[in-house]
Formats: sequence, C-alpha cells, structure tokens
Amino acid sequence: MSTPLNTHDTPEAHGDGENSSIELKETEGLSQSAIVWRKFIRHTGAIVGFTVLGLVALLAFTSQGVGPIPGWWIHGHQASNPVINPSGAPTWTLANPFEPGPHPFGQDDIGRDNFARVMKGTQISIMVMLIIGAISMVIGTVVGALAGFYRGWLDAALMRITDGFIILPTIVVGAILGKLVSNSNAVMLGVALGAILWTGLARLVRGEFLALREREFVDSARVAGASDFRIMFKHMLPNALGVVIVNTTLLMSQAIVLETALSFLGFGIRSPEVSLGALINEYQTAFSTRPWLFWWPGLFIIVIALCINFIGDGLRDANDPRQKKIPSQRQMDRAAKREAEAPAAGGIRGDAATHPNTAEPGPRPTEE
Amino acid sequence: MLDTTDAVAAGAPVLSVRDLGVRFWVGGEWFTAAENISYDVHPGEVLAIVGESGSGKSQSSMSLIGLLPANGRASGSAKLRGRELIGMPQSQMREVRGDDISIIFQEPMTALNPVYTVGYQIVETLRTHFDMGPSAAKERALELMRLVEIPDPEKRFSSFPHQLSGGQRQRIMIAQALACDPTLLIADEPTTALDVTVQAEILKLMRDLRERIDSGIILITHDMGVVADMADRIIVMRNGRVVEAGTSAEIFSDPQHPYTRQLLDSVPHLGANVRGGALGGVDLAAMSEDPDHTVVAADREAETAPLEVSLDSTDMLVHPGGESSDTGVPALRLRGASIEYPASGRQKAFRAAHRIDLGIGPGEVIGLVGESGSGKTTIGRAALGLLPVVEGSIEVVGTDITGLKNSQLRKHRRDVGIVFQDPGSSLNPRLPVGESIGEPLLLHENLKGKPLSDRVEALLDSVELPRSMRNRYPHELSGGQRQRIGIARALALKPKLLIADEPTSALDVSVQAKVLRLFSDLQAEYGFACLFISHDLAVVESVAARIAVMRHGHIVEVGPSSAVISAPLHPYTRRLLAAVPVPDPEEQRRRRETRDAMLEATAE
Amino acid sequence: MLTFLLRRFLSSALVLLVVSFVIYLLLDAAMDYYYDLRTSTSPNIAALYESRTRLLNLDTPVIVRYFLWLGGVGGCLIGSCDLGTAWQSGQEVTSMLPGAIGNTIKLVTAATIVSIVLGIGVGMISAIRQYTGFDYFITFVSFLLYSLPVFWVAVLLKQYGAIRFNNFLGDPAVGWTPIIVLTVFAGLFWMAALGGTAKRRLITFLVAAAATFATIYYILATGWFQSPSVGIVGVAVTGLAAAIVVVFLSTGLKNRRSLFSGLTVAVLGIALYIPLQWLFYYVPMNWFLVLGLAVVTVLVGLGVGLAFGGPDKWASARTGAIIAVIISVVVFFDRVFQEWGAYNRHPAINGRPVATIGASTPNIEGSFWFLNLDTFTHLLLPSIALILISFATYTRYTRGSMLEVMNQDYIRTARAKGLGERTVIMRHALRNALLPLASIIPVDIITLIGGAVITETIFGWNGMGKMFIDAMNRNELEPVMAYILITGILAMVANLVADFLYAVLDPRIRVQA
Repeated sequence: MSTPLNTHDTPEAHGDGENSSIELKETEGLSQSAIVWRKFIRHTGAIVGFTVLGLVALLAFTSQGVGPIPGWWIHGHQASNPVINPSGAPTWTLANPFEPGPHPFGQDDIGRDNFARVMKGTQISIMVMLIIGAISMVIGTVVGALAGFYRGWLDAALMRITDGFIILPTIVVGAILGKLVSNSNAVMLGVALGAILWTGLARLVRGEFLALREREFVDSARVAGASDFRIMFKHMLPNALGVVIVNTTLLMSQAIVLETALSFLGFGIRSPEVSLGALINEYQTAFSTRPWLFWWPGLFIIVIALCINFIGDGLRDANDPRQKKIPSQRQMDRAAKREAEAPAAGGIRGDAATHPNTAEPGPRPTEE
Repeated sequence: MLDTTDAVAAGAPVLSVRDLGVRFWVGGEWFTAAENISYDVHPGEVLAIVGESGSGKSQSSMSLIGLLPANGRASGSAKLRGRELIGMPQSQMREVRGDDISIIFQEPMTALNPVYTVGYQIVETLRTHFDMGPSAAKERALELMRLVEIPDPEKRFSSFPHQLSGGQRQRIMIAQALACDPTLLIADEPTTALDVTVQAEILKLMRDLRERIDSGIILITHDMGVVADMADRIIVMRNGRVVEAGTSAEIFSDPQHPYTRQLLDSVPHLGANVRGGALGGVDLAAMSEDPDHTVVAADREAETAPLEVSLDSTDMLVHPGGESSDTGVPALRLRGASIEYPASGRQKAFRAAHRIDLGIGPGEVIGLVGESGSGKTTIGRAALGLLPVVEGSIEVVGTDITGLKNSQLRKHRRDVGIVFQDPGSSLNPRLPVGESIGEPLLLHENLKGKPLSDRVEALLDSVELPRSMRNRYPHELSGGQRQRIGIARALALKPKLLIADEPTSALDVSVQAKVLRLFSDLQAEYGFACLFISHDLAVVESVAARIAVMRHGHIVEVGPSSAVISAPLHPYTRRLLAAVPVPDPEEQRRRRETRDAMLEATAE
Repeated sequence: MLTFLLRRFLSSALVLLVVSFVIYLLLDAAMDYYYDLRTSTSPNIAALYESRTRLLNLDTPVIVRYFLWLGGVGGCLIGSCDLGTAWQSGQEVTSMLPGAIGNTIKLVTAATIVSIVLGIGVGMISAIRQYTGFDYFITFVSFLLYSLPVFWVAVLLKQYGAIRFNNFLGDPAVGWTPIIVLTVFAGLFWMAALGGTAKRRLITFLVAAAATFATIYYILATGWFQSPSVGIVGVAVTGLAAAIVVVFLSTGLKNRRSLFSGLTVAVLGIALYIPLQWLFYYVPMNWFLVLGLAVVTVLVGLGVGLAFGGPDKWASARTGAIIAVIISVVVFFDRVFQEWGAYNRHPAINGRPVATIGASTPNIEGSFWFLNLDTFTHLLLPSIALILISFATYTRYTRGSMLEVMNQDYIRTARAKGLGERTVIMRHALRNALLPLASIIPVDIITLIGGAVITETIFGWNGMGKMFIDAMNRNELEPVMAYILITGILAMVANLVADFLYAVLDPRIRVQA
C-alpha cells in the first residue's frame, strides 16, 4: 500500500501549478536593472569610490571654476604669490588640521599655489579621462557590435585592425599621437587617446554580440520582421550594456594613468597648461627640497584611479548573475544558532531551490 | 527514530534517512529546500526519487555526501550502515565519498575534467581509496571499462573526454562511480542529457550492473518513463517534501496523493492513441532477429517488389497517406532541399539537411522527430529563412523563398511564426513581455498606441494569461508562462505556418501537459499549419497528424502518426520507438525485453 | 598545428607591416625636423633649411620614403640590415639596437617571471579564501597597484628604495615600532592566507610572527646588512623548507617516497654546498657553466626521485627536480652575495650599493659574481616598479579564472570521488585555471614593454624605451621606427609562444589543430 504522507498538500488547480516555485519570489517585481542597481549599492567599495570621486570632482571643478565661471578658491593656478612658509611648505599641517591657511598644499619655487595647480590639474585630467572614455566607448561598441553581428569579412577586417593596435604598447602609440597634437589643447589629446584605447572594449563587445547572436530572442526578433539595425541596437545592445559600462569604467582608470604618464613624459598636456602628470613631471627634481609638490598630484591620481577601479568592480559584480555573496561559515553558524532559539523565523519554503545554482560557491569548509 | 544499533544486520538498509532537511542561507534568511525526508535504501534495490524542478530531490541527495553549495546546511540524520553522515567531519567524509557512496552526475559533458584522460580519472579514484600501483589500477580501470561496455577500452583509456560521445562519457562516469564497489550509488538524472536511444542503452547497463553488484541505488529523476524502467520503490517529492512513498507497482497502479496522480496523468504516453500501442503492428520476433533491416511490404496497388531497408539507409519511406493532401496552397513545401550552415571563419560550411522532400498542407500539424544533431531544427530555421537552402527549393505559403535576401524575406515572414525551445532565451530579457508580443505588430502592421495595446491584450487572453502580465519582464515569469508569451508572440500576426521548435522540452511535465493542451486549442481556433519539432515521440504523437522521422540530416520515414507509431518501416524508427520508456512498469518490462533482444542482436 | 602557427605568423606579420606604414606616416607628421632652426637667427637660415631637407630626403614624398625604409628593413632578411641613421647623433640605428634590446629584455624578463610566480600564487590563495579578510586585502592591494602611476612610484623608489635605503645601509638601526608592526603584519598575513579553525589560525599566527621576529632579530643582531649572505645555515633552512612545501603541494606529505626523495635532494644540496664553494673559487664562472650546472642539478633531482622508485617514481622525480632547482638558485644567490663586502667597498660604489641610474656601473671590472651583483643592484628598482604593474594583473586574472573553474562540474566530480582538497585544487582546478592565462601573458608582456618606456627613462636604463623617448624628443624618426619594428616582433613572438603553449596544454585544441 502506498502511503500519502500529507494529503492536505493538494496541487494547485490554477495556473501552471508552478507559481509556488521560487523564481517569482526571488525577483518579485524587480527588473534586471533594479537587481543590478541593488547589488551595486550594496557593494561598499563601489559606493565609497563613487562618493569620493564625486567629492574630488566637485572640489576640483568648483574651486577653480569652469571656463568663464570663476571658482571660490582665492588663488589662480598660474599666479605667483609671495612665499609664506620657508621654501613654500604647506600651511595646512597635521598640528592644526582645521586651519588650511592660504596655501594648504604649499607653494612652488616661484610662489604659485599648489592647491590651485593640483585642482586645475585634476580638472583637466578628469576631463581628458571622460573624453577618452566617451570616445573609446562609442568606437569600441560600434566596432565590436558590427564585427560580432555581421561576422565574416567585416569581422576579420575589424579584428585585424584591433590586432594592429594591440601589438604596440598604448603608451608608445599615445606618445606618437601626443606629439602629433602637441600644439593643440587637452580636448584634442583626449580625442587622440580615445582613438587608441577602444580596442579592448571592442573585443569584449564583439564576444558579447557573438554570444547574444546565438540567443533565440535575436532570431525571434528577426522573424518578427526587425531590421538589422533594430536587432543590433534595440535588442542586442541593451543586453550588452553591462559589458559596455563596466569596461568603459575600467578603461577610464587606464585612461587617467595613460594621460598622466604621457604628460609626465612630455607628450601629453604641457606647460603652461597643467595636468596631474604634467605637475609631477615639472616637480620631480624638486622631490628632496619640496616634496609636497610631488606628493599631492600623485595622491590625486591614485585616488581617482582607485575610485574608478572600485566602481568598475562594483558594476562588474552587480552585472554578473553568478556573483552572489556567500556568507562566511561563521555568519551561517551564528544565524543557525539564532534560528534554533527562535524557530518561528523560517523563510519561504522551497525558495532556495533556484539559488544554489546561481550562487557562486564559496570556499569549502577547510579540513581540520 | 529507528533503532540503528543492529542496522548492520543482514537485510538491513544500507542507507537510512530520517528527518533530513536542507536549508540555504540566502540574503540574510534561511530558505528550506527540503525537509522531513525519511527513507531507507536496501542493498540491491533501486529507490527512485521523483519530482519536478525545485522539488529538492537533488539537493537532499547531495547533502548525504556533504556536497551542498557553501551556503547550504543539512540537518536530521542519514546513516550509512549505521554511520552518521550528516555533520561528519570533512576528513572522514572524504573517505566515504567515492568509496562507500559514489555519484553519477547528469552532465557527462562537464562532469569530467577536460585536461585529463578518462583512464587517468578512473585510476585516480582507485588510487585515492586503495593502496594500488599504477599498473594494477590501470588493469582494474580497464576491467571497469569493459564492465560498462566501452568498446576498445585499451584505446579509450588514453582518450580525453571531448573525444568520446555523450553516451560513452556517461559510461566512464559510471565506471568511475563503480570503481570502489560503493555501498550506495546515487544517480542524479543520469540519462537526462542523453538521446533516447543512448538513454535506453545506459538504462540497460545500469540494470545489468544492479544485478551484478550489491549496492543500493538512489535514482533521482523527473522522467516517469525512466522510473518505470528502473525503480523498485519510489518516493515522490514536491516543494521539498515527500508527498508519497511506495513500491513501483503501487505508485503507478494506485497513486494516492493527488499530486502523484496529476504527475502521472501529465506524462504523454507513447502509443496511447494507437491500438496495440507503439510497435503494435510490427512482428517483434522478426524484428529482434535482424533489427538492422526491415522488409517493407510491397505496395499492393503499384505492385512493386518488397523493399529491404537497412539501418543506414537514407531513403525516405512513405506510408500510405504520408503525403500532404493537395487541397489549397501548402503552408510549407520543400523539394529536394539541402540546407547548410554557412562557413564562418575557419569553419567550413556544414550541410545539416540533405535533399529534404516535405510538404505541410494548410492547417495541418506535422511532427518532425529526431535525435540531437539529426537536422530537425535546421529545417525549421530554413523555413523561416534563417538558413539558406543551397540545393532544391523551399516554398512558404506559396512563395518560393529559395535564395531570397534578408530584406526581401521580411514581408514573407509575417506568414510564419516560431516558438522556440528555451522560453528563457527566446524573449529579450530587457523588454517587457508586452512589448515583445507587440513587436511583430509594430513592425509589420505599424500598429501603435491603443490598437496595439488592444491586440496585445487579446493575445494574452488567448494564451490564458492575465493582461496585467504585459508589463512584466521575462525573468519574472515562470517557464510555462514564458512559453505562453512565446506562443502569443508567434501568433500575433495570425501566421499560416507555425514552427514549434521543441516548445515544451524545457518545461516540467505537468506544465508541458498544460502548454500542449493550450497549443491544441489554439491550433483549432487559429487553424495554422504547424511544423512541430521534438525529440520526444510521445509529445509529437499527441499533437501531430503526421510524423516525419529524421536521422543524420535525412528524413527516413514519413506517414500518419498512428501508422508510424504502430508499424514503423525504417529500422531506425523502430529502434527509436523501442527506446522510449513508457510510464507503466508492466508495459515497460515487455517493451524492454523486445528492445534488449534488439540491442543484443546489434551487438553481435 | 604547424600550419595553424604558420598562418598566425603570416597574419601577424601582415598586421605589423600595415602598422609600420601607418606609424611611419603619423611619425612623419608629428616630427618637427626643423625644430632647432625655428629660433635660429643665423643669416644663412635658408641654406640651413635646405641642407636639412637634403639630409633627411624630405623632398621625396613620405610614402616613397617609407618604402625606402622598408627596403632597408628587408635587407635584414639577406643579412645586410639598414635601419637608417639617427640624424642628430649620426649613429647607425643598427649599432644602437643590440645593447638596447639586451637591456630591455633583461628588465622585462626578470619582472615577468617574478610577477607571474607571485601573481599566480597570491591569486590562487585569494580565490580559495574568497570573501575573507585576506581576499579583501589582496583585492584592495591589486586595485591600488592598478591605480599607481609607474612614474610616480619610480620617483618614490628612487628616493626611498635607493637614496634613503643606502643611507640606512650605512647605519642599519631599526626602532621597535617597525619591528613590531612587521611581525604582527606577517602573522596576520599568513593566518589569513592559510585559514582553518580558530585554533589553527592562532598557531599559524604565532609561528609566522615568531619566525618573522626571529629573522629580523637575526638580521639586525648579526649585522647582516653589512655582509649579507645566506650561508650554509640559510641554504639548509631554505632547502629543507622548500622540500617540505614542494612535496606538500605536488604529491602530498603522505606520499613517503616523494617526501624522502625531496628531503634527500635537500640534504644533497646542503652537503654539496662546501664543495661547490671550492668549485666556484677555482673555476672562473660564466653563463654556459651556470647553465651546465643547472642541467646537472635537474638531472640529479630527477635521478633521486627515480631512485626511490615506487609506483609514482616520476612524480617523485618531478618533485626532486623542482626542489633541486630551488636549492641551486639559493646557492647561486649566496655566492653572488658573498661579493657584497668587496662591492660595497669598491670606490665606484662607495657604500651606496642600490643603484638609481643605468644598467651597470660604468667601467667596473671584476669576477663573474661581482659583475652579476652589480647587475642585480641595478635591476632591483626598475624591476620592482615593473613588477608592481603586472603583479596585480596576474593576481586578479588568476583569482577570476580560479573562481570560474572552482564552479565547474568536474570539480564537484573530483570532490565526489573523495579526493583531498589539495588534490582538487592543485591537480584539477589549477591546471584548468591556468589555461586562459596563456592568452594574458603576451598582452602583459606588451604592457610591460610599455611600462619599461617610463622606468627606463626615470632610471636611465639604456634600453629600447629610453631610445624611443630620446629619439622622440630629438625628432629622429629612424630609431622610433626601429623601436616599433622590434616591439612588434617581440609581441608577435610572445603571441606565437602563447598560442603554442595553449595548444600544448589544452588537449581540446591539441587534437583539433
């Protein structure tokens, strides 16, 4: 005789009988972008990076002003001022952190205010970085999308072009282009560098499009009568957006390091214009006498690049469906104990069935 | 709790599970995947754990050997010959794994390490648990490979997994699992990823082995046919709980729990519509004698001579009434059509279908059956103009689309709709489903605003989904709901031909039953012709009037469903039919005997 | 396989050709050949312009000039290279190249090897300890390294790694605070890296901290900095430790034969220490001899492993060989450091051993060991600067790849077979995780060559990068083109090697090609 164990548990009479399963509860009312967003704002590193970067940009742009709009800081970045401390040491000291004084970051040998110069340099470096990012993103996405979508000879040709960029170090090509546009301004430099940094993104977007192309919804759209253009930009691109955003972000951290390096070598931003790299170049010999001139611009480069790396990491984690945070064994032990004390706190039954597969396995408990 | 002190006594269960529960820690809360599970496994017995996806059948078994994902925890008790498994320290558990309990996983493709030879991987298991030299281990490994009937084991020993076929890889998995004579063997969906004829061979192997070894076997599966073929006892799971337990005969003949009954009712039963069942019109004795050849009876009217057909014959055998009726414009007409996947990069063009002749009359549903790689999807894609016909011609609803360019194809595409296999992949994850449904209307009829919205709602009604669902995104819907959306979208333009490419194979069986019923209703209502592609003969039989069988890119047989099912002409069709397990232990036992005889004859 | 590599070679050669053409045009547009004449007030300025034009053949269209240049390059194939002349110095480019290439390769090779080994090791541990303090720490450090501008670090290294460190070496005294900080940090690092239960962590912490403290104490107490050497005690300690660690990782300590052969190799190395010192004393050394000794070392290691026999003798042999190589490297460096005192007292060094400029001290002479020490002191800082760049790449990449692999079904199968965690990771996971790394290495080498442009400039290292920058500043086109050509060829070779490695390591590709 077979034994029905709990007969009250009758199958549902309506729907597909699978509404009780789980995928629904996991994602209840959340679109994919909402999930990404939620995972992103839970990523501490990314949020800290985002905040710090925002503050740095705000400080840089308001203190020195943009274009015709003047900033609130008293000194301009080119004006020479009387040297206050011996050899122009910073007026902002650890001994008295709440009084920055007139030259918080110190002065250089001809009395120019280092804070003003670093802020102006930050402004220009950020601007160049954004231009590089935007141009690389557009070129990389379009090239990658075309290559991945049409394949064939177009793909082969576009990929050979990226090969051509990849066999030379970016700094070398950057130096040549930097020399070529040396008579123009920071915007031109950004455009020139943007034209060489897109290759990595193009390859990734191509890979993504090759994969998306095999997805059935693309065929489905084609059968529905969509044109190539519509398929590429309405159907495939939104699905590749994660890759594009993440890698553009990471590319921007590359961009700021490249721009500053070129400026340091003398092929990027040049005096009298300032950028963080150009400042370091100008002051590298002064390291033993006026170290503050060297420390501050370097610190700002690191802070900006670090923030962007963390934001990119957060975005990548948020976009990767496999990335789920696994609690440590200790956390789980504690939770299990807590629940043993209050058994009523059970979760939704059956819900976990979909999770184990999507979750990235953490380390196995190590063997003792 | 049972008394386990004398559990080692003769006839005692090898495994005794009591109150087993599995929970996962997700987003700061515990979710229960399984609870209150209790069962015993006796030596030499097959216990089948049956359930649909998400029933916790797999996770509860994984917890026995401590292989849950890191966020999983097991509770309760599971004793292997009296030794408690739950909470056993890793170092001891390691000695149990592979030695006392071994596992056969579902995906033979990914379950073997691609960079080591299969022989090495078996040897590794042996040498982990036994103090054994490499040559002794190799000897034993070869013996195991012979046991699982790997042809030419000496040569296969040094093959890499990717050089073997799916069935052979699964045999290697089995050999590896049997290496240390385990007390308990867990087979987690061992045949789900395999073609039906290969599945039949693997099931036969497992049944043979079961008689030779004394292990208890836990078979985890969703396929009632496989259960009917293998199981001694069955437990049915749903939402992490056991709803019913009993012997195989009890569960199949006298199910108590409504869910079990629903489950059994949902399974399409091959040969259900045919008098005498599948292969009912075939002389089984003659068939077993020489399974690679059939003699097709002479056509009495045309007075042709009897025709002998061998297994590898690529000629198309046509049953009487196998051609489409000539009334009206055929929805699809292939004449000697060969279809190729175009060359891409260094890959050469691949011809996936050879000289296909097939016609679908208006409003007719024809089933196209074949195993993976047989080219059945290729035909569907060609009908949509997604793949080029390089030889012969293809006509869709009266228009010859052979060699048309993409832009020229667009206006013909409104006559054709497609429902894809994977409902998760066929809807754009970034579009609300309403927009997906409306896209063909927008593009072909230039509908916008209110009229578009009305049509979308009407379509949702017709696939029996609430209208409010139009603003949801695909991932918010269940598999069955997504497939309904896929059908609604395919029907948006009221096509004259629908290509249904394995529309239900990714769905659980109870959902599949509902979707199939909906499909039949809609077909009656809209009256579209349909090319129904599937690997599952039972499903095809339930929806199609005619069936075409494909093998290696050729259609080998076509005819009315009942004729093909009951009296197949081609040896391959017979083999295919014999391999499908039916969810009825008695009938399955009879069918199995026929099939075993067939397979034996082939092996000789 | 061969045809595959050949096709790859031809296609990259074609790409290089096109790149050289485009770069030639760009360079020609960027170069200001008359820059020094613009500010000239010389009365015969027109004549100067004209003679410059004639000197550089600027009347000829640039495309023709490119093909003339290409003709000269083509000459290399038949043994008569002509890469042009740097017009300001009048030097033949071909005569500038050999030294520059050698120096750059020296720099890049050292940095690549160190960062691959460190990066893979740290990345692997980081992946295994995912979401632990160690993982977060390594993630933060690698992001920090990604964000560091090389030129900034290089200037800092010059200041602190060389100038201050040399001062420190003159009077090595360390306060208690840094000692305690270092000790605690080392303890925490190893505790987090090795993990385990609370008890095991505590033991790891104490052992690591004690070992660090003892090392620092020993170094300070014995005045090690004045005459740094490893000595027979050092060789013994490192040799035995290496034997145990390598055996643990490769075959597991339970494999007695392997353990014994590892220990035998270590003991053999220690026993040979004194005889080797005599050999080094009497026989003038050169790189061929070193290579010969290295081969002998490997053979001895293999031999010992085989001699212990047993079913897995080749595993033992492999272990033995690895240990033998590690010990011989230690012995080699020990011998080099024995020159330290003499080197430090040398008038050209004058007690400031860590160099900041150049690839070697000019006009210094001495034995093989002495010159090697000189090279090492010069390599030290630029290498560190380069390692900092690529270490982070390898760490992140290994970590990502390892996590991906640990998620695969076959890892679950390996666990289900009852394999130990060490075997699962070292045998099943690592091998697969390292496969995609083959495609990262050439990219990274190109990045390093780019990084070398900056480090060479800052450290006055006469390599390709410095040649490039100098030529750019002097508006000389030919050396720049030579740089492009050589770098392109290096990149091509790196790519081919990677393809080849990939094909050898991955059976799926091996069979297809």
